Amino acid sequence: MNALPVDLALAWDSLPALLRGLQVTVLITALPLVFGLALAFPLCFARMSPRRWLALPAELFVVFFRGAPVLILLYLVYYGFGQIKALREGPLWVLFGSAFGCAILAFSLNHAAYMVEVLRGSLNAVPHGIVEASEALGISRRNVFIWVKMPLAIRYGLKAYQNEVVSFTKGTAIVSVVTITDLTAVANSIFEQTYDPFTPILCAAALYWAFVNVLRIGFDLWGRWLDRHNAVPPQEQAQQRAAVAASAGEIPVPAPRRRSGFRRPVL
Amino acid sequence: MMHLSLPEFADYLRQLGQGALITLELFLASFALAFLFGVLVGILTLSPNRLVQGLWRVYASIFMGVPSLLVIFLIFYGGSAMLAAVFGAAGAGIDISPFGAGVAALTIVYTAYIAELVRGAIGNLPKGQFEGARALAIPPLVMWLKVILPQALRLALPGLVNVWSFMLKETPLVSLAGLQDLVASAKVAAGATKEPFVFFIATALFFIVFSAITLKLADRLEIRLERGLRRTPQRRDAGVRA
Repeated sequence: MNALPVDLALAWDSLPALLRGLQVTVLITALPLVFGLALAFPLCFARMSPRRWLALPAELFVVFFRGAPVLILLYLVYYGFGQIKALREGPLWVLFGSAFGCAILAFSLNHAAYMVEVLRGSLNAVPHGIVEASEALGISRRNVFIWVKMPLAIRYGLKAYQNEVVSFTKGTAIVSVVTITDLTAVANSIFEQTYDPFTPILCAAALYWAFVNVLRIGFDLWGRWLDRHNAVPPQEQAQQRAAVAASAGEIPVPAPRRRSGFRRPVL
Repeated sequence: MMHLSLPEFADYLRQLGQGALITLELFLASFALAFLFGVLVGILTLSPNRLVQGLWRVYASIFMGVPSLLVIFLIFYGGSAMLAAVFGAAGAGIDISPFGAGVAALTIVYTAYIAELVRGAIGNLPKGQFEGARALAIPPLVMWLKVILPQALRLALPGLVNVWSFMLKETPLVSLAGLQDLVASAKVAAGATKEPFVFFIATALFFIVFSAITLKLADRLEIRLERGLRRTPQRRDAGVRA
């Protein structure tokens, strides 16, 4: 028995193919992130609207596209829309006729539904007094939204957004079921050619891990940049550390439970 | 609209029902195991030991950073070889079923998430709870089961509910390893009858309804777990009326 389950020569040989698969995975992640976010804003406004006829459809959209597994959504779009005759002859067939278009559509709808909830939670977390104060200053509602509510909401919701982006990225591994050769599909085809159950899948897993962690680091940097006005200079950091060390003997006070208006998706 | 005769349709519905049963079995078995191991790992990794911390970091980072689908494939394709390596000749004869691979993979992945939640919840408990139990000479096992874990469960519940509904939506991935679950049956039925909308939407609704029912139960559980925090039964009603 080989001590290492990975065949290094095979890993090296399959690296170019795996990297091409990674490119597809990145593309099939990035496009729905853009489209889904763009779709999430109007849906979120509708969902938060006091008018029932606007809020109800948006809520149903969220319940369906968030509650159904992505695999089902992918099947629904890929196998379902092909059956509609009007669509097959219409100009939109460019989108629905290709596996790529179907995957992008299904993922965008799913991501949009999750993002509606993230956005709604973040916007609701903005203290009402700040909005009232801005309105009292005579700032237009649009400007209050763009310059007061959104900057705060982004800070409140960044962690939830990161969780959603990371879990969404991992979720794209299923696109191989609609014949798209993403990273998982490449690893699978190498397995089928070589019958090595470990090397291709472990290599693909390593690439996914790297991709996910690049995203994580990007979000960390973004969060630090957004919070730069609170950044502590190094000498003060040392003082704080000394103060914490000095008070370590005291009875620790449990942090008050934060009542946030929304449940963060953990994943 | 439907090109199906009723008996045919009923036949496909029965297959879907069987698939749904398999999906639920897979999900509940994996969640139960992940919960059990998650609590154990969560408690063990509270140890400040460098080795324990290092192992936990590596484990959590890997399984939170890799798609579950790859873990399922790895165990399904490579499980026999792994068993053979660990148990020698006795393990070589064991064939890995898609169901077994699914349970193993989902358990391994979600143990990491649940352990993280449990760690956080225990870390947020006041230290006085541990000190008080020690001062009362409560034996460690009783302390964990009767003092610490019930409170930690209350703190971890919102996160656990998230994991519950997220994991439910990941169980269909096992159908890609060949398990004849709900999604696989729906795909067969949709392909054979040329009625993809009926079967896929029905399947989606199954997941949505199951998760809605269980979330209602989780709300009841939350109220029950918080019963220690309520001073009088009237207080909640007063809050609602105010």
